[in-house]
Amino acid sequence: MRKNGFRVFRKGIKTQKHQYKIGMNKNRRDFLQGMAAIPFLGYFAFAFKDNITKEIRGKSIDYLKTLKIENLKATEKKLLPPTGSNSNIIRIGLVGNGWRGEQLLYSLGYAHPEIVEQNTVNGKYTKQFQSFLDQEDLCVEFAGVCDTFEIHARRGFEISQNDICPGGCKGKTKPVKIFPTYREMIASNEIDAIVIATPDHTHAQIAINAAKAGKHVYLEKPMTHSIEEAIELRNTIKSTGVIFQLGHENRQQMSFKMAQEMYQKGVLGTVTMVQTFTNKNSPDGAWIRTRKFDHLGNPNTINWKEFLANAPWHDFDLKRYFNWQRYSEYGTSVTGNDFSHKYDCVNQVLGLGIPETVVALGGQYYYKNHGDMPDVINAIFSYPERGLTMTYDCTLLSGIYRQSHILSSEATMDIDNAIMMYKDDNSERYKDINSGSDNPMYYYAPSADVDAVSSATSKAYLKGGYGPTFIDGKVIDATFLHLKEWIDAIRGFGKTSCNIDAGFEEAVTFNLANLAYTHKKPVKWDKVNEKAIIG
Amino acid sequence: MKKNIETTTGYSNGQIFSLTFLRVLIGWHLLYEGLVKLYTPGWTAKGYLLGSAGPLSPLLKGMAQSKSILYIVDIMNEWGLVLIGLCLFIGLLSKPCKILAMILISFYYLAYPPFASLGFNAHVEGSYWIVNKNLIEIAALFVLYQFPSSHITGIDKYFKNN
Repeated sequence: MRKNGFRVFRKGIKTQKHQYKIGMNKNRRDFLQGMAAIPFLGYFAFAFKDNITKEIRGKSIDYLKTLKIENLKATEKKLLPPTGSNSNIIRIGLVGNGWRGEQLLYSLGYAHPEIVEQNTVNGKYTKQFQSFLDQEDLCVEFAGVCDTFEIHARRGFEISQNDICPGGCKGKTKPVKIFPTYREMIASNEIDAIVIATPDHTHAQIAINAAKAGKHVYLEKPMTHSIEEAIELRNTIKSTGVIFQLGHENRQQMSFKMAQEMYQKGVLGTVTMVQTFTNKNSPDGAWIRTRKFDHLGNPNTINWKEFLANAPWHDFDLKRYFNWQRYSEYGTSVTGNDFSHKYDCVNQVLGLGIPETVVALGGQYYYKNHGDMPDVINAIFSYPERGLTMTYDCTLLSGIYRQSHILSSEATMDIDNAIMMYKDDNSERYKDINSGSDNPMYYYAPSADVDAVSSATSKAYLKGGYGPTFIDGKVIDATFLHLKEWIDAIRGFGKTSCNIDAGFEEAVTFNLANLAYTHKKPVKWDKVNEKAIIG
Repeated sequence: MKKNIETTTGYSNGQIFSLTFLRVLIGWHLLYEGLVKLYTPGWTAKGYLLGSAGPLSPLLKGMAQSKSILYIVDIMNEWGLVLIGLCLFIGLLSKPCKILAMILISFYYLAYPPFASLGFNAHVEGSYWIVNKNLIEIAALFVLYQFPSSHITGIDKYFKNN
């Protein structure tokens, strides 16, 4: 019994011990279960740092390191603070108040009441118009206007009467003086500076006479109708010392300023080819344009003789008057109208200057009843001293968009208001850059607010670099900046960027192409005697 | 053992493992996202918010335009992701964390909703229509919310009786 009892007792203890052991194990396991994820966290903590470094390096590429330059000063440039006040108001006379003239007035701070109306929705201004009202007051007075079309001049008057403009329009609603022609305007002592937005064949005579009268000149592009005029205008501007700005507003575009600095710092290596393009596919794009009050044009409302100026006599013709761009007696072809922009953009990047030889071929195949402007043209501009060639391809019957291309030994740069740079597969400079030639190794795009702009033409305009640009942390209209630069320079602050030398290069270059196209022969530039040699 | 857990938790071993595994994966993902933002110099949600589309777009764009709001959004994004991720990872305060994570990811989902008309599909690696990875992550969090595991395999275990 006792023996049995002892056994039972021992068994009991054994069972208890076993159960206790199980209990211990259970508690430990149970306890450890709560820590199940900790080993993973341990691994995470051990390895994440290294991985994150790689991740961040992969995501945020240092563009200066990629381009192998130390800095890019263009992007750090600040805007010049306002230079105007009530004591130094500049009185502006506008010669030619057509669609471009009105755009220039708008950038100067003067809007037609029609624009105010169009931009007022439910008693509120649109965002676009509000940004116009918020723009810097340039402290200029719209003091004079003249136009060969009475309606245009009258619209100038209406613009001067609008009291909604930047800076609260203080004292700005003085009625503008309408001059019969530019001659009376430049003779007037009520005008300090003039803005010229007339047909191309009248640019030189107006600008030359204005400069001789001591008026500062803002001249719409292209500069002149011929090389001879360009020489005379350049000499006049230089001898009179007036402040001159040619209206290539893309001089203000950040992308071109950056590209110029990048080129000078060797980012592109040896440039051998520059390609420029015009692609448009609409009558409007081909400069066959109508405005709503064109029907009011007749020999009584249009000063036909004044319009013709030095051009050969022709009977009154509304088509010639409103679509003058398409007639070589008055306009400068697609080269003066559009290539001049493209050329000026690459000229500011590369400092190309005037080519040695130009050839051009093409023809007017489609818009045959509208003047003699070619619709298809190719031109080649040879720069043997620079070891490069520039080409221009233009068609007015294809709307495909092509930026200007700068081809070089190290990379290809596609440029408009944005920059896309592709590494060359055989590049020495970028051999360690891990980017194929089909992906951009460098990309720059301005953060422009284009909400208000919807039409394809407007988008092409913006892409081409004529719309807003990004400077000093702000998005600002390039035309406004270009006019501001001119006005600031008149007040003695800074210099104009599209000065008479840049304008001279532009005028000679596209006029050489026009001569080559007209004569169907290569045209050489004799830089010593400043003459075009045909054939 | 098996019987024991089943009786105390109502889950089988396999169920416990899969729920914990899913919780740790989501925790890992959010924690890493947060840390990358935290370690990226000058990281900001500005570009992300400005590029947003869909119903919340005006609100999100408005957030990006105010400096002070953007500052708060950035901090909340960085630290929100890190803390929520870490908590899910180790199973701490699991319930509120899952709710916060669902709200946070809903914002990402609504900022770039995968509707064909908004045209985002061109930029992502797969093809999504209404359902994308964000929505699936939200759904997974909802499952975890319904079937918690942190009181068994997380730090919450040690607090459950208090």
